[in-house]
Amino acid sequence: MVPTLKGRWATRILLFLWIGVPITFLFSLFVAGPRSPTLPLLGWHYDILPFQILSLLLLVGLILDPVYFYFQQFRWEKDWPFAFQFFFTIIEFVIVLALVWWGVLDFTRPRSQLHTTDNYLLYTIHFACIFIPSFIALLGLIQIFMIRWRFKSGEWGRM
Amino acid sequence: MVKFPILLDIYQRGEGPLKRVERISLPEAGDYAIGRLDENQIVLDTPEVSKRHALLVVREDGIAISDRGSTNHTYIGDSEVDTSPWDGALPIRIAQFEIHLVPQTASGAETRVNVSEENATRAVAAGSTAASPAPAPRGQSIEVALNAPNAPSEMRFPRNVFKSEIVSAAEIKSSEYFAGEYTYLTVGGGLGSFVWADHLRIFGVGTGDIRAIGDDVIPYANYQRLCRNSQIPPHERLRSNSQSTPDNIWGFPGYASRETWKDLKEFRFGGIKYIFQVFGEASLAQTFTPRSGEVFKSIDKEAQRIGWRDMLTYGRVVGIRKTNDERYAVAYRVPEDQARGGLRERIMIGKFLHIATGYPATRFTDDLQAFKARYPEEARVFNAYENHEVVYRTIESKQAPASIVVRGRGIVASRIIQRLYEARDKNKGITIIHQMRNPIGPKEGYKYKGAQRYVYNHIENQAFNWPKACWGGQLLRETERATPEERVKIYEALGGTTTADRRDWRNIIQLGIGDGWYKPVFGHFETLELVKTDQGPKIQMKLKARRDQPAVEVVADYVIDCTGLIGDITHSPLLRDLAETYKLPRNLGVGGGKIGGIFVTPDFEIAALRNGSGRAYAAGQITLGGPQPGVDTFLGMQYSALRSVDHLAVLGAPNVSLFGPLRSFTQWIKWCTNAVP
Ligand SMILES: Cc1cc2nc3c(=O)[nH]c(=O)nc-3n(C[C@H](O)[C@H](O)[C@H](O)COP(=O)(O)OP(=O)(O)OC[C@H]3O[C@@H](n4cnc5c(N)ncnc54)[C@H](O)[C@@H]3O)c2cc1C
Repeated sequence: MVPTLKGRWATRILLFLWIGVPITFLFSLFVAGPRSPTLPLLGWHYDILPFQILSLLLLVGLILDPVYFYFQQFRWEKDWPFAFQFFFTIIEFVIVLALVWWGVLDFTRPRSQLHTTDNYLLYTIHFACIFIPSFIALLGLIQIFMIRWRFKSGEWGRM
Repeated sequence: MVKFPILLDIYQRGEGPLKRVERISLPEAGDYAIGRLDENQIVLDTPEVSKRHALLVVREDGIAISDRGSTNHTYIGDSEVDTSPWDGALPIRIAQFEIHLVPQTASGAETRVNVSEENATRAVAAGSTAASPAPAPRGQSIEVALNAPNAPSEMRFPRNVFKSEIVSAAEIKSSEYFAGEYTYLTVGGGLGSFVWADHLRIFGVGTGDIRAIGDDVIPYANYQRLCRNSQIPPHERLRSNSQSTPDNIWGFPGYASRETWKDLKEFRFGGIKYIFQVFGEASLAQTFTPRSGEVFKSIDKEAQRIGWRDMLTYGRVVGIRKTNDERYAVAYRVPEDQARGGLRERIMIGKFLHIATGYPATRFTDDLQAFKARYPEEARVFNAYENHEVVYRTIESKQAPASIVVRGRGIVASRIIQRLYEARDKNKGITIIHQMRNPIGPKEGYKYKGAQRYVYNHIENQAFNWPKACWGGQLLRETERATPEERVKIYEALGGTTTADRRDWRNIIQLGIGDGWYKPVFGHFETLELVKTDQGPKIQMKLKARRDQPAVEVVADYVIDCTGLIGDITHSPLLRDLAETYKLPRNLGVGGGKIGGIFVTPDFEIAALRNGSGRAYAAGQITLGGPQPGVDTFLGMQYSALRSVDHLAVLGAPNVSLFGPLRSFTQWIKWCTNAVP
């Protein structure tokens, strides 16, 4: 990948909207249960916790993007290998876990409902469900739909 | 002044070195036809020579050579010529023949001498057996009158029609030359043309609206020839990456996943490594690059799918003009077998024009050129891009010391060294002298914005011919936005000759240095001459290094020049005429005073050729130094095609869709199922 900073942000938001949100929506459908608070919709109960995690992931990513871009400047090719992307996305998730552990979501519900082993397992499964398709999208799915994306440093739209 | 008789030596390149097959004498001024048929005064009888190939016009005040629309063209030295004066400094080249002018002082002393015994083909002046006199000049046949180069040039095709900067479409349409009108015309018919036509087809244009005019039927024919000569056989890997796919406008699936898939289908799990190579590109793992044979196969398949054969017109384009109805007229010549009642000249009219004629010529550095002119019989110095199989065949066939000078430090030099290394399997006496202009220390690589290029063995290493971000990253952004002056600075900082960082190549160098059969030398040649040694003739060279070092003397059997192809568009008669007629602005060239390619906008439009609502675009090497660095690559041509076709879509050009996500996806499915777009 050869992203610019704007391209990094644009691609991240694209993946958030087209992969993160729908998958989290489905995911919440299946994991919603006794955990509260929940969001009743069409007679179903959705847990909004996965959405909170997803938003945290987006936020951490958006903040780290300039850092990546800064380090990219020291690379002769001004590129960012897929392997880096892979590795740092996992790091981003670890940061999110640390933030949750540290208590950034504590204002949403009682600590006892957030910090269970079950929940951390759930966060990880949720992350995997988003990460794998997002990465596949980066590897080629995006350009099937958006032919100009790869020439636009990751930004969307026309030339 | 020309003194008669004029003596010409005709040499032929066969399996071995260049051999003199004939000396002919031209007694007086006249027009001497050259060609395959016996009716010519100078008969060169091999299939590569056209029946009426060229005309040598000899006058008291000079000699001129004129190509007669031959299939394989006529050259002086390495420059292709249409009509050109000939002073004899460089030979005239026609297929495997070279015609040398015998210096006038020597002409009296010698007459016809040693006709080679073993020439299977003939190179004879008609009727000039040992006893018979030299040919009489040809009479005023219609054929000669039509094309005689001494006729005023305005009377010759296409000048007889292209009388001014803007030509009348109506006049062309009523002339005998008219060969149809199309919406989209691409000139060249090589990979650049193919990729452009591929985009148009997928964006919605039918085969009936597109024409490509080129001198090869297969889009990669020229490229394949260059690859083969520079020692990239079908199983060897190219330089571009997995997603540079001239057969697939999306770049997905790339060549790596296709290769992996092929392996997995045969239960070869090693194929998974290709995917990991793509993961690590361009620095963590050795970059994946496809095999040339696989790329050609994939292009064949796509050509079939989009109906390339239906769109291709075989011909050599000789002129382009704007028309008075906001279009373009393209004049070309077809081969003899397609002549209509003897007429081989045609003009096609198009609304949207695309020019992708590739490299104008191969480069021969002056000293090597001089050597070739001095010792035409010695096939000892070669450009890596021309056929030089004879070198490998000769050195592999005997167990004797043979030293080869490889000049240049680019990727082709790496290939040639690899090939010579392979030749060492058969002959351990082969040694390589690698000549480079100057040494480069490990810390002396090019620098740009906080990063530096890696150097190994005095050669800068880089995965592709430009840093990766030149094809769609921040470096492309920077060059696109820069002013021409800023662009040159960026190009100078990023450019330079590089080779790919391949483990096998590094091992070869290491091995060679260790065993003493590979030696890098630095400097430029001062003298280059043939010396007789007890092992036969050899090339003697004095290598002058910079910094007041004494000259090193090198004796070698062959020199293979890997310093490249010529990008200067004025070596192409077509482009030179076009640039002069419409005063096309050129890009600034890298490195003091040189001039770059044709100036194009970021949409790859040649703005100076705009003709009302008609548009002209360019792609490939001929646009070097412009908004995009990597123009002469698969991915670069995909980019320029996308830019120009997108530009056409916005203009509302017929049947070109805006190509949004839905259309893109459905067209991709069609690609996957090999359905017609
Ligand atoms: C040895 C070598 C290796 C390369 N390897 C790679 C690689 O690995 N990856 C990569 O991305 N790029 C590579 N390139 C660069 C580039 O992709 C190729 O050179 C590519 O073929 C360029 O396409 P083109 O259309 O510009 O030129 P070409 O494919 O050469 O096509 C131009 C065509 O126009 C024809 N033509 C010229 N003038 C006229 C005229 N007046 N009338 C009619 N026809 C005309 C020519 O005969 C030719 O057929 C390599 C280049 C070389 C030389």
